[in-house]
Amino acid sequence: MAEQATTRGQRRFPPWLTKRLPAGGGGAAVARLLADLGLGTVCAGAHCPNLPECYARGTATFLILGPTCTRACRFCAIASDPALRSSAPLRSTSRRPEPLREDEPEAVAEACARLHLRHIVITSVTRDDLADGGAGHFARTIRAVRARLAEAVIEVLTPDFQGAAAALDAVLDAGPDIFNHNVETVPRLYAEVRPQADYRRSLDVIAYAHRRACRGVALAGRTGTGGPRLYTKSGLMVGLGETADEVRAVLRDLREAGCDILTIGQYLAPSASHRPIARFVEPPEFAAWESEAKGMGFAAVAAGPFVRSSYRAESVFQSRSAESS
Amino acid sequence: MAVIDVKLPELGEDAGDEAVVSFWYVEVGEGVEEGDDLVQMLTDKATFDVPSPSPGRIVARLVDEDAKVKVGQVLCRLEVSD
Repeated sequence: MAEQATTRGQRRFPPWLTKRLPAGGGGAAVARLLADLGLGTVCAGAHCPNLPECYARGTATFLILGPTCTRACRFCAIASDPALRSSAPLRSTSRRPEPLREDEPEAVAEACARLHLRHIVITSVTRDDLADGGAGHFARTIRAVRARLAEAVIEVLTPDFQGAAAALDAVLDAGPDIFNHNVETVPRLYAEVRPQADYRRSLDVIAYAHRRACRGVALAGRTGTGGPRLYTKSGLMVGLGETADEVRAVLRDLREAGCDILTIGQYLAPSASHRPIARFVEPPEFAAWESEAKGMGFAAVAAGPFVRSSYRAESVFQSRSAESS
Repeated sequence: MAVIDVKLPELGEDAGDEAVVSFWYVEVGEGVEEGDDLVQMLTDKATFDVPSPSPGRIVARLVDEDAKVKVGQVLCRLEVSD
């Protein structure tokens, strides 16, 4: 089903893409806290329709490394300037890359403490202009949060760091509990949807984290002598123009890479200038994907129209079955 | 009896957030329960139903269908028991 226009020219969505706003607007307190600490969230930056619900529940997904991305994925609302990539010549109209905010790790930790978060998700823009892609900053943020909330589950949703092992090691050495990197879509659509990324490289990033988990490398975690098992996670959107066989192939690739946790959600265009929605996927189809993915061996799967990488991340993680093979 | 404002809450858009009034579920003078849908709003990303925060009676609808509304703007007024 394609987008429906009305006689008044307003887009309408199918009935299952209606969200009830929390009565009383309970998310204002979270929004104020984030503003007071000068923190961004992917919730706001990416125009996530779940924001009212998540903020009202007292949670958010932190967006670090600044507000501007050095890539230009066609599905994403976050401000981007690909000219900021280290390999691209700067145009006279390009803005200089924003310096990293040095106290951002501590500000994130402060927000987590004030919100009494038990499951924390930290994501970022892609910073190809930085020598380490921002990996060191990610690591400092993980450690700052761990220092304040020793028992919390820390989930990081990272860029690909251009596949650099040193950058991945920097993040993994900081001891996150869940390493998430989204493949976002099927390989055929990468050139159109995710032009500066590489499907195989994204799979390799997940596989690298999985190998680290399997080797039982002593992460610099709570005890310093080993710490809990690291889980890997990835997600993709449907409704971009992919076929069912292509989605199935991605799921197989993710399992082969050792991905433990999977999310599948409906692509929603942030604006008319982003990639159009190819179709609205109906809830029974999401349920079928969830069932099929669990049959493939994913430890936890969340699939639904409003599912996003970190939507209800805590409950998705807690729903995991026995160790995925 | 007191009259309260029902405002458009945070939606998940950037600063300058706004949504379009899709249609009203209720008429002026109509009684509602807490949680009843009052009005449907459209953004680029989804359709949102705004629920009533309290039981009461709709005494005013302040925005028309197709109007653009900003976060924090009053949508309607609800007469509630003190």
